[in-house]
Amino acid sequence: MKKIHSIKFSRIILYIVLALGAIIMVLPFYWMIIGAFKTSAEINQFPPVWFPSSFNLDNFKFALETAPFATYFLNSLIVTFCCLICCTFTTILGAFAFSRLKFFGRDILFSLLLALMMVPFEMLIITNYRTIVSWNIHDTLFALIVPFTSSIFYTYILKNFFASIPESLYQAARIDGCSNWKYLWRIMVPIAKPALVTIILLNAIACWNSFLWPMIATNSPAVRTLPFGLYAFQTEGGALMERMMAAATLVVLPMILLFLFARKYIVNGVARGGLKG
Amino acid sequence: MKITIENLTKQFDNHLAVNNFSAQIESGQLVSLLGPSGCGKSTMLNMLSGILTPSQGKIWFDEDDVTDVAAEKRGVGLVFQNYALYPHMTVLENICFPLEIQRVPKAERIARAKEMAQLVHVEDLLDRLPKQMSGGQQQRVAIARALVKKPRLLLLDEPLSNLDARLRIEMREEIRRIQQSIGITTIFVTHDQEEAMSISDAIILMKQGVLQQMDKPQELYDQPKNCFVADFLGNPTINKLNAVYEGGRLLVEGMPCDIETSSVPASAPLYLSCRVESVLINQKPSSIKGTIIDTYVIGKENIANIQVGNSRVRAYIDSDSALRPTEEVTLSFKNKGVFLFDANSGERYI
Repeated sequence: MKKIHSIKFSRIILYIVLALGAIIMVLPFYWMIIGAFKTSAEINQFPPVWFPSSFNLDNFKFALETAPFATYFLNSLIVTFCCLICCTFTTILGAFAFSRLKFFGRDILFSLLLALMMVPFEMLIITNYRTIVSWNIHDTLFALIVPFTSSIFYTYILKNFFASIPESLYQAARIDGCSNWKYLWRIMVPIAKPALVTIILLNAIACWNSFLWPMIATNSPAVRTLPFGLYAFQTEGGALMERMMAAATLVVLPMILLFLFARKYIVNGVARGGLKG
Repeated sequence: MKITIENLTKQFDNHLAVNNFSAQIESGQLVSLLGPSGCGKSTMLNMLSGILTPSQGKIWFDEDDVTDVAAEKRGVGLVFQNYALYPHMTVLENICFPLEIQRVPKAERIARAKEMAQLVHVEDLLDRLPKQMSGGQQQRVAIARALVKKPRLLLLDEPLSNLDARLRIEMREEIRRIQQSIGITTIFVTHDQEEAMSISDAIILMKQGVLQQMDKPQELYDQPKNCFVADFLGNPTINKLNAVYEGGRLLVEGMPCDIETSSVPASAPLYLSCRVESVLINQKPSSIKGTIIDTYVIGKENIANIQVGNSRVRAYIDSDSALRPTEEVTLSFKNKGVFLFDANSGERYI
């Protein structure tokens, strides 16, 4: 009897802790979204207003009119989409080569690549910048895409997932006459779907939020992306909090939608655990 | 299809996995490759399938030398120990996959897959994923997938080791039935002698990469070529008594024995090996004596453990036998199931 009570009690504690964690996570987003609907009087009010009196869309209208958000949005979309396609493709091929193909110096080569991960991105900016200037793609969308068409980190994650797929599947397919190429796309990639979705999602968020590199590699508003647009908005639109909130909401919205859409796959990926059979 | 293996050798870095192996497997037979773990039987299978290339020797399928032929061109079906079903594909897709690779038109491949599913009795499970099936069902699907492309040779790598005891017996009978119904030459790798004995036309017994004996199951049991074969087969395992040939007669654990012997080198250490069912207790006058240690029940019969000299002997006794521990008994042997081996080389004398 006593034991049942203590289990229930620890459950309650657990839920309280989890609930607090959830609130801490969600609060900034809530504050941003309601902030976008507030009037300039409400935003600076103290004690803070938790529910805006009316859902006015003026802030969004202002944000969209002041900065060329449509252009930024389209640029972000193009850059993110191209990065995702290229990076996912090279990641899949690289992970396959490093996990299944046997070639001379494979493990040493991979260790070297992993060692490169220790070089911070900020260090690479100078060399990357010189490269895009000498290729003459400075201040174009290409400059935002080309440096991100492959990733050692994602290759590493996917390689480990690929390596966990039993070798016997590969042999079974080989005996049936399946080529490496076909095996990769028909067997490995579908099995690795949970890992792939995770990688794509992480990469999408990273691309979408990328700020430092676009700021350095581009000058003209025609090729700016959303995060830098938001930064520019601060100066162009004045530091009005409710307008900033509206602009920020517009920037974050696609990522939130993407997350809600892909949530099922992420949970599946975690819950699935090991492979049976 | 007849398979001829000629002086096949496989050398890994510093380990000789298969050593100068020659054998011939007749068309339509089910042959077991039997041996303890690490004896090279899986290596043999992988060389037959083409996953591994041999270091030396040749493999012939009928009149074709396939030693250097790629795995996919050999026409073999392989069933893996863990079944190796594609986890994201349904049963039907799994069975269809080999045909999809061969670019068989879709309607035909589905028809052929369904035919195979019927043969292995999984026709009701076509929409299931592997994880939604039991081990036995997965096994059936794996067999169907191996057979759907109409291979000339079916290879099974320890296919029953992941199943529980009851299912194992059911599945081995199923494998026999399926093999018989399409008459395909089949090689079955196992470390379980009972499995091998029960379904094979012939057994190849291996030890450390060397073929010990290839024979029909009963022959292998009744006429082992050497001490290892006699030790490996039989449950309970064969009794082994120390013996020596001296002064024109055989001494077993120091006691004279009336077993007929000829051409046995004098003074060399020997083993007198006798099957548990070949030991007779208190039935004939004999100078081999032993002491009962204990008796235990194993179903319809009882077994007695008997200390004879420095060795222990097991023998069947009636379940209503009055033999009790510490009792002295006289041991004699039947003619069948008694062998004399050289203790060092394992060579058989009688």
